[in-house]
Amino acid sequence: MLSPHVTSPAPLIELESVSKRYGSRTVVHDLSFDVRKGEVVGFLGPNGAGKTTTMRMLAGFTAATAGRVRVAGHDMATDHTAAARRIGYLPERPPLYDTLEVAGYLRFVAKVKGVPRAAMPGELDRVAAACRIEPVFRREIYKLSKGYRQRVGLAQALLGAPDVLLLDEPTAGLDPGQIQETREVIRAFGEDHAVLLSTHILPEVTLICRRVAIIHHGRLLAIDSPAALQRAMEETERVTLEVTAPPDDLRRALLGVDGVSGAEVRAAAGRNGVMLADCRIERRDGVESAIARTVAGRWDLHRLERQQATLETIFLKYVHEAPEDPPV
Amino acid sequence: MRGTLAVYEKEVATYFRSPIAYFVVAVFLLGTGYFFLYNVFLSGDATMAGTFQSMGILLLTVVPVLSMRLFAGEATGGTLELLMTLPLRPWQVVLGKYLGAVTILLVITAGTLIDLVPLYLFGKPETTTILAGYIGFVLLGMACLAIGQLCSALTQNQIIAAVLTAAVLLALWFVGHLQNFQAPTSGLRDLFAYLSLNLHFVDFIQGLVRTEAVAFYLAICAVALTLNAGYLEWRR
Repeated sequence: MLSPHVTSPAPLIELESVSKRYGSRTVVHDLSFDVRKGEVVGFLGPNGAGKTTTMRMLAGFTAATAGRVRVAGHDMATDHTAAARRIGYLPERPPLYDTLEVAGYLRFVAKVKGVPRAAMPGELDRVAAACRIEPVFRREIYKLSKGYRQRVGLAQALLGAPDVLLLDEPTAGLDPGQIQETREVIRAFGEDHAVLLSTHILPEVTLICRRVAIIHHGRLLAIDSPAALQRAMEETERVTLEVTAPPDDLRRALLGVDGVSGAEVRAAAGRNGVMLADCRIERRDGVESAIARTVAGRWDLHRLERQQATLETIFLKYVHEAPEDPPV
Repeated sequence: MRGTLAVYEKEVATYFRSPIAYFVVAVFLLGTGYFFLYNVFLSGDATMAGTFQSMGILLLTVVPVLSMRLFAGEATGGTLELLMTLPLRPWQVVLGKYLGAVTILLVITAGTLIDLVPLYLFGKPETTTILAGYIGFVLLGMACLAIGQLCSALTQNQIIAAVLTAAVLLALWFVGHLQNFQAPTSGLRDLFAYLSLNLHFVDFIQGLVRTEAVAFYLAICAVALTLNAGYLEWRR
């Protein structure tokens, strides 16, 4: 299941058959995967899938009921304080002290994380610049907007140069500009650290994650690179076209092209004479250009587009095909 | 040690950046001032005995307000998740928070020193008796805060934490009265007397610093704080 690594550094995050039960309710079932240095792994799942619980086990907030959780080589069951020095954690709700100033809050976290006194001003400036919170550095936290609160939470996680970053929905509540900046911070950080990024914003995963883990009802459904998941998703692909042509002739012509296994043609709403054609094609090169040559030679071709499986369709397919697991 | 200190500094900063500390200090000092005037000017005795007794009861009302936010506030604010995932051991969190609350107690205690000015100006009070009373008051306050902090860790709701603390403190304050319902030879009689926060405090007010009383208050602190740290670890 794991994608091949050219160089295979030791995993910084390891989950081995991890389960978590609350009373008789099992929230995470037998979960195993790892995240290596230099990787950003996206952690996808619908609400209530067990993402936050898994994050909390990795961060040491809650202990696994069964299985082994190791972060940066430390067993979280016995050694979570030592592991905590190497973890930056942003929980789902940014853990902020409203009455403190941003600077005072960050200084508190930095001190606990063991940032030396002499390095403190530099370290605070570094995370403030990375998360763009300089304008509110001296402001009390309760006065901050949601976007700034989220970014102060991220700044807190970056303090003390952790090896492992656990981010539970880090872009929630940010505006589009801030989302882009935050993704940049995460991507840059992921180049030489291990990042596990929980989210349900799918494009985010495609943009910054090397691998994606899909989890549902506390079980791991798939883990692979977004591209590999896309390849595995469909053996055949689809091409859609917009053409001004008689529907029956168009359909016949399309089926006549080598590599086209099916075609549906319907009228485009509100556009006189324009047809929308949806073709299933074999997965090989040259089929699209053959279609284009055939159609453009006889009629007006307005548009031709190859449809690829998006992460969204992949995600929905996995989640819907997962065995329905009644909450025990 | 550095972690404990960081938690302590954060606690003190949080107290003084929220209205709670000012409110509590003000209410306590107003109450103490009133009882001081009442006891000294009406009786004409230059002693703090009556005032200390009133301060003890005032403390029972003020401690739940001071201690309720210690852990319940962190739980509702989502910051407990931060504290428990930073490189801190539970005892460091517990100790740092506790020392922060004790600092407020010391501020309150220092505020009452102003009552001594007229006492020394217009009378001849016994300094050692007053000193013993203050030692007893601080020890009583430390025991109450340790209980309050434990109660605050047991619930996520600050109001419940405050009510629970008040109930436990009142029970321990008045448990000595149950002696009267026991036969003079009953072992329970001694137990009720021993458990009473009030009866130990009376010794201090009378100028007696008994090892047994000091040990009683310190033992309450130790047991409550140990349970507090153990509970945090267990809940993980």
